[in-house]
Amino acid sequence: MPNDHTWTEPDPLGGNFAGSAIVHALVLGGVVAAGFLVHRGSSWGAATAQAGAIQATMVTAIPLPATQRFDKDQVLTSDAPSPAPKEPTPQTIAPPKPDEVPIPVKQPPKPPKVAQQETPAPPKHPQPIQPPKPNVAQTGETSGIRIQQSTMQVTNGTASVAVQDSAFGARYAYYVNVVNRTVAQNWFTREADPVTSVGRSVTIIFDILRDGTPSNVRMGQRSGSPSLDASALHALERVDGFGPLPAGDHITVEYTFHYQPH
Amino acid sequence: MQSPSRKFNVLLAFVAVVVTTVVPARAQDWFKTETSTGVDKIRIAAADFKQGSGDSAALKRTFDSVLYADLSNAGIFDLVSKSLLPQATPGAPSEMNVQQWSPAPVSAAMVAFGSATVQSGKLVVNGWLFDTKNVQYPQVLAKQYSEDATDDSARQIAHRFADEIIFRLGGGIPGIAETKIVYVHQAGGSKEIWMMDYDGANQHQITHLGTVSLSPRISPDGTRIAFSSLGKDGWGIRMYSLVLGRLVNFPSFGGTNLSPAWASTGNSLAFSSSRTGDPEIWETDANGNGAHRLTSFRGPDVSPVWNPRTNAQIAWISGRSGLPQVYIMDADGAGVTRLTDIGYATSPSWSPNGQFLTFAWNRKYGPGAPGGQDIYVQEVAPGAGGSYRWVQVTHDSGRCDFPSWSPDGRHIVYASTASGKMEIWSMLADGTQKRRLTTNGGNDMPNWSWK
Repeated sequence: MPNDHTWTEPDPLGGNFAGSAIVHALVLGGVVAAGFLVHRGSSWGAATAQAGAIQATMVTAIPLPATQRFDKDQVLTSDAPSPAPKEPTPQTIAPPKPDEVPIPVKQPPKPPKVAQQETPAPPKHPQPIQPPKPNVAQTGETSGIRIQQSTMQVTNGTASVAVQDSAFGARYAYYVNVVNRTVAQNWFTREADPVTSVGRSVTIIFDILRDGTPSNVRMGQRSGSPSLDASALHALERVDGFGPLPAGDHITVEYTFHYQPH
Repeated sequence: MQSPSRKFNVLLAFVAVVVTTVVPARAQDWFKTETSTGVDKIRIAAADFKQGSGDSAALKRTFDSVLYADLSNAGIFDLVSKSLLPQATPGAPSEMNVQQWSPAPVSAAMVAFGSATVQSGKLVVNGWLFDTKNVQYPQVLAKQYSEDATDDSARQIAHRFADEIIFRLGGGIPGIAETKIVYVHQAGGSKEIWMMDYDGANQHQITHLGTVSLSPRISPDGTRIAFSSLGKDGWGIRMYSLVLGRLVNFPSFGGTNLSPAWASTGNSLAFSSSRTGDPEIWETDANGNGAHRLTSFRGPDVSPVWNPRTNAQIAWISGRSGLPQVYIMDADGAGVTRLTDIGYATSPSWSPNGQFLTFAWNRKYGPGAPGGQDIYVQEVAPGAGGSYRWVQVTHDSGRCDFPSWSPDGRHIVYASTASGKMEIWSMLADGTQKRRLTTNGGNDMPNWSWK
């Protein structure tokens, strides 16, 4: 039972306390002694002559830098301004004698430079090899089938003209266009009753004589709206002529008007 | 009770103002759209002509600019701007590649091109018109001209080529590029008859009478000018022969004789004469014989004009009801109808197709009325409901007077003070493309030749 021995035996603290007190006293005494030894003699705020007051001395003149050395020839640095230079007296220059200045002789034009030899043609770039054309016609390769018809959009519908003579229509397409334009310009679509005419088409057939006058106007396909049919006939009545035919004795024209206000 | 009724009155007045202003505006709009039913103009390109020889440069420049101006003045084309044209100037059909001209931005449906050369003192112009849409048969027109190598003949060749193009593409109506305009020019105290090309070029004096001459009217065949002039017997009708270059005999009737007008046959002349004391419309033949009176009503009757299509009607200005108004009657003096309702109307001119009259009209005439004199176009036949449809074609351009139709019926020439001085102007009959033809002031009373 060592514990019994520990608990029951009184601690020897007296010597330890004494040793601690002595060590503390030594440390304290060392600190005080060091303060005396290191900072002895000097102290703050002492009335000594070397204490840091600013000393101002009144002077009689400002110590300017010494006058700089100057050169007489240098106008800018001299004290005495140099006199202005004298104006030179104008001198009259004698005119040149008549034969003094040579008249330039016109030089013959220089011959144009001619190259020793002609510039060779630039080398040809390698051309891609064209594949042989197939034997069958492809879409877009041949010219399309020409329909002798001219169609144009006008204010209140679509006007189209077809010429029965297909050769004429292909050769003189511009004339077919003029016919369409002229009739459309003379067609007053307000004459047609919009209620009954919308969406309907009327076809009139007429001949154009050699001098360009329309004749033999007749209804091709009635529209079912009498006012639209009448306006078509009135349009032809207003036309004086389309201009002389470019070829032929007369042509027969089918004029179709589709009434569709947009 | 008073307040609501006053409110109602204000409302009524407002409605009345709206109705009176909106209804005529719609009527005009209707008229205008009916004369152009949405058909696009033909897009045409006028290529610079190819210069064949060095000394033709100046002539070719004149030719190019005149051809371009003629086509743009024609009123039926949408002309491609010169800056959009391809670089190449084809001079012959073999050099022409229509594929360059049909796609955008040129987008031309037609191309006019050719060459101009000077060969042994002659200007030779070859001109073609191609249809770019028709690749197979593009040629529409091929012309060759050979004239003296002068600036004036280059101008004439361009006019003739332009007229050929307009004739082919304009539905058989001849172009006006070769037509003339006669007019009155004031210099000092006298007024003389002058003449110029339709585009204002080549202005030259016709008469040298030293007096006041007014209202020149060129005959349908273009050989004579009838006008009224102040002589020792007062105002008389005079006749000038452009073929002989001098005045020819025309009887004097006594009284004041004014404003002659040719029938389109060239065989009849109508004018205003006051030989009986009151100004009435008289008719004679082209030499002044067989005079007989057409009107007989108290009040002045002046400014007759024949229906050029039928010669069966005469429109004129009459003051029988107070202020001058436009009337029409049959050629024998029967069937008098008044066309204008209000205002102050003067100087009618009948369109070549017989459908329209143009005249100067001050609709709000009188003290305190802010009226301006402008050019109007009115239908000769009444529309539905018996009312005449009209449209105003000049607006806010000074005092406009003396309109005269061109022979193709697409243009009107008139006198206007829009530039500050009295000058001759021309425009399309719908009021667009107004162009001043003279610049020196004192020009008045234009009359367009018949061909």
